[in-house]
Amino acid sequence: MEQTVIRLEKVAKAFAGVPVINDLSFTVRKGEILGFLGPNGSGKTTTIRLLNGVIAADAGQITVAGFDPVTAGNEVRKRCGVLTESAAFYEPMTALENLLFFAELYGVKRPKARAEELLAICGLQEAAHKKVAVFSTGMKKRLGIAKALLHRPEILFLDEPATGLDPEGARSLMAYIKELNRASGVTIVLATHQLKQVEELCHRFLFLDRGRLLEIGTFRELAGKYLTSISLQVETDLTISGSQFKGFPIENRLPGSLQFRLERKEQIPLLLKELLAVGPVYSCTIQGYDLESLYFRIKEEKA
Amino acid sequence: MNKRAAKAIIAKDIKAISSNVQLWLPMLIIPLVFSIVLPLAVVLPARFYELDRIGNLEPILKLFNQLPPGRLRATLFALDSVNQQYIYLTINYLFAPFFLLIPLMAASVIGANSFAGEKERKTLETLLFAPLELKTLFGAKILAAFLPACFLTLACSFLYGTIVNLAAYPLFQRIIFPEGNWLLLILWVTPAVSLGAVLINVFISAKVKGFQEAYQLGCLVILPILGLFVAQLAGVFLVNSLFLCWLGAAVWIIDFFALKAGSRFLNRDQLFTSQVS
Repeated sequence: MEQTVIRLEKVAKAFAGVPVINDLSFTVRKGEILGFLGPNGSGKTTTIRLLNGVIAADAGQITVAGFDPVTAGNEVRKRCGVLTESAAFYEPMTALENLLFFAELYGVKRPKARAEELLAICGLQEAAHKKVAVFSTGMKKRLGIAKALLHRPEILFLDEPATGLDPEGARSLMAYIKELNRASGVTIVLATHQLKQVEELCHRFLFLDRGRLLEIGTFRELAGKYLTSISLQVETDLTISGSQFKGFPIENRLPGSLQFRLERKEQIPLLLKELLAVGPVYSCTIQGYDLESLYFRIKEEKA
Repeated sequence: MNKRAAKAIIAKDIKAISSNVQLWLPMLIIPLVFSIVLPLAVVLPARFYELDRIGNLEPILKLFNQLPPGRLRATLFALDSVNQQYIYLTINYLFAPFFLLIPLMAASVIGANSFAGEKERKTLETLLFAPLELKTLFGAKILAAFLPACFLTLACSFLYGTIVNLAAYPLFQRIIFPEGNWLLLILWVTPAVSLGAVLINVFISAKVKGFQEAYQLGCLVILPILGLFVAQLAGVFLVNSLFLCWLGAAVWIIDFFALKAGSRFLNRDQLFTSQVS
């Protein structure tokens, strides 16, 4: 049976009377990467703060690694690493000095060796003795990851980790997160609104809107539920008249390609077989069967 | 208290103060004026000019005559001249409240910078996400302001004493500073006053939004000391050893209860919501 490391039950939080989290319930399984998705202001950061016990919920129950974040906050924080969007470093101090300082707060054994190891992993070895004030956004982000990993946490909360990174930086960060999860089994909650970057990375996705849970599940589960028809773009020289081909509805005609509307993925090989029987097919692309389409579909139906 | 974490915060804060010229320069200028300029301004003219020839000595002579019977009065009237009496009283007694101002100012600047400064640099959030009891965080912040304030006071007292004795030696042919009351002042009263100022400033700093606001509110603790100085000059009373004993004891007791009361209000949720969210 899969072990649950995070559990929220009917959690609510308001600031100055304005509800930010409403009746939120979900679980996170040990060792999974959960994509925590939602627009700005949907409550992602507030949920991460609640899970780390830095703010208290107005209602509901929270358990992280078996502890209540409010009554046993330090036990939770010892087991969790956090990279938040707004948290900063001491700019007059070097990267190594910052990590050594936080290593003391987290009680890290052999702090210098650990800090140097993480600086190397995060590609900051050469900047170790430079003041953080001169760091680019990407470098600060990587230093944030290094800080979050200092004490070898069981659970990692990453709040918009790729914001401000260039495409190469974002890709290498995502690859590192994937490798970290594979190699050490650390549970990762990855809050973002940049859907393309996390589509391949996360085991499950949670969709949040105005503090309410819209959906949670694997891509396959959610796609099966919401993406009931798909659009297939086929690159071909064939000229087909009429609104369908062998019973498959044609949605659109473009120069050198045709776009079909299919009810399910299993129809793809059947369509391709029929097409190849009458002419060449150079490529085919599934349209509207990605995380972004899923996100908008769920929002459309549930928000 | 997590000693390892507390040591790291104290070391980090003290390093931050020493590397921030805007913070330490104003904190150092006034103490240097108190330690070097003021004693020289008193001793040198009195060494080279006969004060009773200059005139306008009535207020000082009145102050001498108002002194209650006791050791100070006896010591003062045993001196050879008005010049010596003037130097002795001013250096050992009238300037004493200035040395309460030094730790107060230092504690105010550093204490006000503690939480409000972390908030302004957006590092408070990072600190609050660490597995750190708030008692450790507040304790470390208090010590990080208290220790430099005490060190500065001790260093300034040593400097003041050196300057006074060097400048006054040709006139007295002996060391005139410190009197017993100074040891009480520096070792008993100023640590108590510094701690009080730090507590006030750190707790204000944890409640307000920025350093400037915290500093302005925290500076109000200087007012009673100014009152003390004016009261001495007016001849209302003199900062003698007995007064210092009682003052120190009273301030230590207030500090104790302030610390107890303050630590009861420590709440991560409240601190985070008011300072970070």
